[in-house]
Amino acid sequence: MEILREYLPFLVPLIIAQLALGITAIVHVLKHPRYRFGNKPIWVLIVLFINIIGPVVYFVFGRGEDQ
Amino acid sequence: MRNYIAFTKKELLESIRTYRLLIMLLVFLIFGIMSPLAAKMMPEILSASMPEGMTISLAEPTAIDSWTQFFKNISQMGLIVTIIIFSGVLGTELSKGTLINLLTKGLSRNTVILSKFTGMAIIWTISYAAAFIVTLGYTVYLFPNDEVSNLLFSVFCLWLFGMFLLAVLLSASTLIKNNYGALLISGAVIVVLKLCNIVPNLQNYNPLLLATDNVSLLTKTVEVSSLSDAAAISIICSAMLIIASILIFRKRQL
Amino acid sequence: MSVLEIGQLYKNFGNHTVINGLDLSVPEHSVYGFVGQNGAGKTTTMKMVLGLLKPDSGDITVCGEKVCYGETKSNRHIGYLPDNPEFYGYMNSPEYLSLCGEVTGLSKKRIKERSEELLSLVGLADVKRRIGGFSRGMKQRLGIAQALLNEPRLLICDEPTSALDPIGRKEILDALSAIKGKATVVFSTHILSDVERICDHVGVLHGGKLALCGTLSEIKERRRHDCFVIDFMNSGDASCFMDCEELKSPMVSATQEGHTIIIKISDLKNSGQFLIDMLSKKQITPLKFELMEPTLESLFLEAVQ
Repeated sequence: MEILREYLPFLVPLIIAQLALGITAIVHVLKHPRYRFGNKPIWVLIVLFINIIGPVVYFVFGRGEDQ
Repeated sequence: MRNYIAFTKKELLESIRTYRLLIMLLVFLIFGIMSPLAAKMMPEILSASMPEGMTISLAEPTAIDSWTQFFKNISQMGLIVTIIIFSGVLGTELSKGTLINLLTKGLSRNTVILSKFTGMAIIWTISYAAAFIVTLGYTVYLFPNDEVSNLLFSVFCLWLFGMFLLAVLLSASTLIKNNYGALLISGAVIVVLKLCNIVPNLQNYNPLLLATDNVSLLTKTVEVSSLSDAAAISIICSAMLIIASILIFRKRQL
Repeated sequence: MSVLEIGQLYKNFGNHTVINGLDLSVPEHSVYGFVGQNGAGKTTTMKMVLGLLKPDSGDITVCGEKVCYGETKSNRHIGYLPDNPEFYGYMNSPEYLSLCGEVTGLSKKRIKERSEELLSLVGLADVKRRIGGFSRGMKQRLGIAQALLNEPRLLICDEPTSALDPIGRKEILDALSAIKGKATVVFSTHILSDVERICDHVGVLHGGKLALCGTLSEIKERRRHDCFVIDFMNSGDASCFMDCEELKSPMVSATQEGHTIIIKISDLKNSGQFLIDMLSKKQITPLKFELMEPTLESLFLEAVQ
């Protein structure tokens, strides 16, 4: 408990940033079901389970044309 | 000049609306938080992974450990993410043909290259600064009594190396139509720079020094003056690469 | 005065000659249909006019100014609509027009005025969506708006209607007709009915040069065959008419197809009268009596053979 409190100032922003990245990506994956390659389930898995790089790769390589 | 401002504004708008800026910021913020955290937790992680009953003496973590993590994260993952994010900066426009329309309206090709570089530089600078400020804040909070030397210069060196890489990426994009090609060339340049380090006399002039000697600067094992050659070379090379990009791009049939 | 002049233009891609001594002249305030088969070199020619491709040799002059490859000075006279216009999908139309306006050097106020005017001209004034969600027709219409933004004297459209459905096509053609008089329009196409609908000048590109050019009526006049088509009520009347001695002369060739007789005679004006005389002599009332106009299609096919 003591340790947790000590790390709270780190963990809270860290988790928020990670969540923001993941949620932005997952929302985009679900709302724009056209991809340059791959399909929805693959991108959902990549975005959710590959930390940091997953969303980056999705936005750079995976997402389809605009909108 | 007006065209330069208009097109740079467009580059920034593009970075915002295509989530490039958001991703860069979030990724760099994560690195900014993770670096001091990793430094702080390192002893506990190590002792937890030790077999029962075995004890090793671990030095208390210091600010230097925090900055070591910072420079390691940014110079590796940070730069990789940056280069990946910007890999399509020119290629996408060329393959989609969005640029042709503006070129026929009198936008000069020089402006395109300069604006693209400015756009990338601004995003890189903002994200890097965000990571730096966050790490600085946490480091001061965790290790208030630790002193580090040359911090700003060391941070500047890695920033300069990032700018150099962006110039490499941009000139690679003018050479090759394919986005992955530009990425590969940038990777190849890093490998070549690493190979150059084998030659002892070249080491001091190698831009790579700006991304490897950061921690040594903080601990004063390396003097500021010893990086001045590498910094100068990086600035000259970046300028030359951008001029080369302009020249190549002007010759290119679209 | 010609807005666009092309003289002895040559362009090869490797061993393949695309443009082979093209001469072309577009008079001011005309709507010029630039017709050719797919791959005839229409887009190549247009890109050279815009300075996007380097000609092997030859001169291109726009509004009296010579076009140089890689430079864009002469482009301030030109509005260009590419065959498949691509815009930044993350912008909406006013944003895109304002970027174009700033690039061409219009003042902020002027950009706003022109944008509103043009967006309502092409029917996009109420569309708030980003361009990424536009249909092809909408993109083409935005393309026309951006091409007209700096009030160019010459508007070049590369196959503006080819990829559109009938409604989209009508909208584009209407928009182009609305421009008539404000600017000279050159548009390439292989859809001949579009040319007939809005063009007054035509040039047919074939084998790297113009196989046919002139005003639409001039071309038709020049190629008019002295040919009459007479439709009869029944085949009896037709046969009766065919039996006339006068039609057997070597000056005349007549062919019968069921109810219809097609007659070719050299002297157009008199022979028309002469045929009518014969009909009245035989007491036959035809269903249809028509001087055959050459269709653009037949002219085109003839030109590219």
